[in-house]
Amino acid sequence: MPLRPRSPHGPAEGLSRRAFLAATGAGALALSGCGTGFGLRGSDGSASREGRLSFTLWAGEAELTAFQTIAEQWTATSGVPVVFNVVPFGEALTGIDANLASDRAPDLFRVTYQDIGIYAAGGALLDLTDRLPGGFLDGFGEAFVSAVRSEGRVFGVPHHTDTSLVLYDTEALQAAGARLPTSLDDAWTWEEFRSVAASLPTGESQYAFGVNWQLAGAYRWLNWVDQRGGRLLTDDLTAPAIDSRAARDALALTQSFFTEGLVPPTTSTKGSYVDELFTAGTIGMVFAGDFLLPTIDPEFTGSGRSYGATFLPRDETASADLGGNAVVATSQSVNAEAAADFLAFLSGDEAQALFCEQAVVLPTRTSLLGQTLDYAVRPDLMELFVEQATTITPGLSAQVTVPQFNAVNASLVDRLEQAFLGGDDPAQVLEDLAADVEGRLS
Amino acid sequence: MTTAAPAAVTAPVPDPPRSRTGRSGAWRESAAAWGLLSPNLLVFGVFLLLPLIATVWLSLYSSSGFGPREFVGADNYTELAGDSTFWRSALNTGVYALLTVPLSLVLGLGVALAINKPLRGRGFLRAVYYVPYVISGVVIAIAGRWIFNENVGVVNRLLRSVGMDGIAWQSDGTAAMVSLVLISVWTKVGFCMVVYLAGLQSIPAEYLEAAQMDGAGRWSRLWYVVVPLLKPTTVFLVVLGVIESFQVFDIVYVLTGGGPGNSTEMLVTYAYAEGFDARRQGYAATIGVVTYLVIAVLTALWWRRQKATEAEQ
Repeated sequence: MPLRPRSPHGPAEGLSRRAFLAATGAGALALSGCGTGFGLRGSDGSASREGRLSFTLWAGEAELTAFQTIAEQWTATSGVPVVFNVVPFGEALTGIDANLASDRAPDLFRVTYQDIGIYAAGGALLDLTDRLPGGFLDGFGEAFVSAVRSEGRVFGVPHHTDTSLVLYDTEALQAAGARLPTSLDDAWTWEEFRSVAASLPTGESQYAFGVNWQLAGAYRWLNWVDQRGGRLLTDDLTAPAIDSRAARDALALTQSFFTEGLVPPTTSTKGSYVDELFTAGTIGMVFAGDFLLPTIDPEFTGSGRSYGATFLPRDETASADLGGNAVVATSQSVNAEAAADFLAFLSGDEAQALFCEQAVVLPTRTSLLGQTLDYAVRPDLMELFVEQATTITPGLSAQVTVPQFNAVNASLVDRLEQAFLGGDDPAQVLEDLAADVEGRLS
Repeated sequence: MTTAAPAAVTAPVPDPPRSRTGRSGAWRESAAAWGLLSPNLLVFGVFLLLPLIATVWLSLYSSSGFGPREFVGADNYTELAGDSTFWRSALNTGVYALLTVPLSLVLGLGVALAINKPLRGRGFLRAVYYVPYVISGVVIAIAGRWIFNENVGVVNRLLRSVGMDGIAWQSDGTAAMVSLVLISVWTKVGFCMVVYLAGLQSIPAEYLEAAQMDGAGRWSRLWYVVVPLLKPTTVFLVVLGVIESFQVFDIVYVLTGGGPGNSTEMLVTYAYAEGFDARRQGYAATIGVVTYLVIAVLTALWWRRQKATEAEQ
């Protein structure tokens, strides 16, 4: 029965309703096939399964090459291939959380020291205490061992560390006639640092320096507290200790950087990262991690400028931030033995030296701290970073690796911004921060 | 505006057949209806209803998203009631809606009126205005960051080049909100323009001609004829705009990150920060549930208003 005359024009000519439905049905099936294929590919790339190790990580080009070289060496002896699933830093842990929740976690993943605690507390990590070779962790600095340990158990290997130095535009500092410290003991005091900063030119879109305490880096503000002898948490890590004289002094000092126009107002804890402002010449000094040298160096050398580095300012003591990453295995791994074996290999002397040299990051193994590694970028400055890393204190490391630190850091971001940009009274800000931290810990 | 009622149907309507064939036909019709509805119901159930139920369920727990979760009952809701950041976010969202919706509507109507006449390159102009609406919000916000960057942005450079002070787009709360509103309006004007164009083209030319014959000028025709006849379109755009404003995320996340302080924190960005930065997914789900309820109330109001408008016609 003809329903309606067929159109005399257009591509639909000759296409019956049945043919149309069949075509769209086939199309839908094809699309669903694509969906299934995509899902399977995603699962295949990241989930743990027998016969190989899956490793989810974020990595720059040099880092990935180093990881691959080390993995190939391990595979040559173990016979187990390592499959890398590289994701952007900002999405890495969100993806890991989703995979853990859906029982599709990889065997291994890269994680910041500040994030280990919550995964360990949630039972997401493989307990490596009895799986690593005897005495293996004795070869690492105390602060790093503290960062991968939770309630006496070991949940990862301290793969590498980063810390900050003050990088400076050589011409700007020379013009200001500033003294440049050459040893840790000789580092600028707080007052001296402020005086040097004040002597640098400032004005419309020109500032003295920038500090790397934005967003997930807000914990770096705790360096100042530690340098004054203060603490974020009590010794037993169960309650806030931030509402203290030392923290008030630290906050008053850092708040003055904003009120006196020494730092760009856009670089508060919710603001933009500072390294780009340094290479653009907007700031004369920047607090920056060693891992930024491969980015900063070509910008400076390309524009014919030069830069140097000196140690972080110190007060009662010197103190530096615990940066860098651990590598952990998940409790969902079906290759627990192989995963533990790979982690031990990855963080052994030889592999760690190779990784640090290629990726321009700092070692965590004490045996490497005394050696001169062949860094690809500015090995002269990397020596200073290594020296500064010796001031990463176990006490501060333990505070920034508690399971609730994500939430605590989020409070730091909010409260510090109130002081920096809102101009709120430091005492009130710290009282509020202490209340926040108490809530987060509970 | 009134329309003639359809003529009453006077022809006798035969009783529906009660035969075996009739019941079978009714069953077949019903099956066909369910068959046609089922794809939509399936999508609705899997992608909307189930997540909604799961979100309400999650809001009763303390959870990091993995590992053990703890039932906390209404504790998350109690905490939310006393959470100053939540209330600030709610206020910001309201202010954002109050600023973006009227501005988008007025500008959208203005552009639609300008384009609703024979004009060379009309299609191109329509596309120019509409393109921001279909571009990813993240791309728009990244462009916004370069336009409004306090140190090196286009706007401040222009201001400084003519001897004026730059505006503190990132370090002043009001300026940050203004930058968000400007970017948001830029994206929404195109959509409002397209909807208003459709509305304008449905207005009979005789009405405007009659008004002109009665001596009404351009503004009088616009104010007393066009705007009232566009009322259903305006109601639709207002409610859609408010709902979209309560869901805003990408522009805020990329452009201001909710700062400075909490000046531009919105309900959804706050939920994200709690859920993924602080890993308090139960609490984030609570914010989601409350936001959902607010949007549901607004939708119900829109529905009632729409019914009332239809009844008036």
